[in-house]
Amino acid sequence: MITMIDLLLIFRILVFPGFTFILFLSLFCEWIDRKIEARFQNRVGPMVAGPGGILQPLADFIKLLTKEDIEPRDAKKLVFRFAPLAAFSIMVFAMCFLPIDGASILSYGSAIAQSGFNGDLIIVLVFATIANFLLFLAGWASANPYGTISSARVLTQFLGYDIPLYLIALTPAFIAGSLSIGIIASFPYIILAPWAFVLFMITMQAELEKGPFDVPHSESELVGGLETEYTGAKLAFLHLTRNVQVIFGSALVVTLFLGGPSGPVFFGLDWLFYTLWFVLKLVIVVAISSYIANVFARLRIDQVLTGNWKILLPAALLSLMLTIALVTWVYHPFGIGV
Amino acid sequence: MVNTKTWARVKSPWVLHFNSGACNGCDIEILALLTPKYDIERFGIKLEPSPRHADVLLATGCVTHQCADRLKRVYDQMPQPKFVVAIGACACSGSVFEGNYNVVGGVDKVVPVSAYIPGCPPRPEAIIDGVIKLLSVLSTPKKERPVQAHRVEPAIAEVKQNGKQ
Repeated sequence: MITMIDLLLIFRILVFPGFTFILFLSLFCEWIDRKIEARFQNRVGPMVAGPGGILQPLADFIKLLTKEDIEPRDAKKLVFRFAPLAAFSIMVFAMCFLPIDGASILSYGSAIAQSGFNGDLIIVLVFATIANFLLFLAGWASANPYGTISSARVLTQFLGYDIPLYLIALTPAFIAGSLSIGIIASFPYIILAPWAFVLFMITMQAELEKGPFDVPHSESELVGGLETEYTGAKLAFLHLTRNVQVIFGSALVVTLFLGGPSGPVFFGLDWLFYTLWFVLKLVIVVAISSYIANVFARLRIDQVLTGNWKILLPAALLSLMLTIALVTWVYHPFGIGV
Repeated sequence: MVNTKTWARVKSPWVLHFNSGACNGCDIEILALLTPKYDIERFGIKLEPSPRHADVLLATGCVTHQCADRLKRVYDQMPQPKFVVAIGACACSGSVFEGNYNVVGGVDKVVPVSAYIPGCPPRPEAIIDGVIKLLSVLSTPKKERPVQAHRVEPAIAEVKQNGKQ
């Protein structure tokens, strides 16, 4: 017996703000990223597919789905087939916990602050980590020297940025006094902890393998990186994983520091305006991330690692200490940001 | 459904560049396509590093006996549907190197070619024109296509024999 609530839940998971919405949002953000990159190189970027080339990522995706699927003889078939798909599904699952239209996908109709449960911030960060491991497996199983080197670099870089990422993500949680994404998302913590926002953006670049930290798929050294041997639908899903990872990272920044979907609501259409504010903030963060990626030159893998351990990790610890001191003696006694 | 498929394929041709013995003139012209002045990404064309990702093989230069095997292998590594565009006089026919002791001939002696762009080297405008013509032919139904391309049987077996002599 399927009730109305079940139908609503299925609609929320499959269409809005679930799978389909996330798919098109990630393609839209890829278009923005490509356009910004093109403008930085004094080009115009995609123009022909749709108005202003807005359908270009969709055309790429459909084309890749219809291409022949080749599996190298030496590849580990099981991992080779399932790693891209599993990475994609885990990234989409992680997106489901973020309050895109004012509530996480599984909790409809509640206020932003009640949309999460205590500890879902940790779950979401763990999902991002697992997706990175699956990408490593995808490259490792493809039995290609470039894929192997790229995978090794994914793991090496991961050793550097993951601890600072968790530490900095905890900063707004400390101020909010909760690990629930819903409670953190109801206040823009960039006002109370701007230094943590800057640090988080830098760490996010490393997590998304963008900007100065795009060592794992540096085109000039590693051909196609861990995607080198992938064709057809598997390549399409690897690209899509990368896109969803980008919007996931940006959505995490929006949720933790920019107040998530909160903003002025008109005409009582709260879900519409919440989505609008969320997407607007998301696009701004994607643009900033793209700006950083285009302005800075790529670092070497050893520079990334030493930079992360010698600069970013102490900075993250200092930021955490500063936050705890401020929370204990300034914010909470005066009732700010709770 | 078929229309969507064709639309996607025509709007997003990713190219791979292979030099099978050119003097580097045509290759510089291909790289010029990616520069701000010509910006071929307007048409969704991206230069891909791996043959596994590519739809169109941009082949430059006459095919030497050394390179014939490699050209065939790179072509075989590409997933279907795939097309080859021969860029420059040498790639079209072998040009002045035709009949040389170490040269097989044009690219079409080894792999089937869909479009020929002559010139020594062809201007970037000519390459864009050729690629767009190929794409517009692909977007029309098969029966209405103006010229049914004459497919030359790949002569790789013969090439291998000649190479051993």
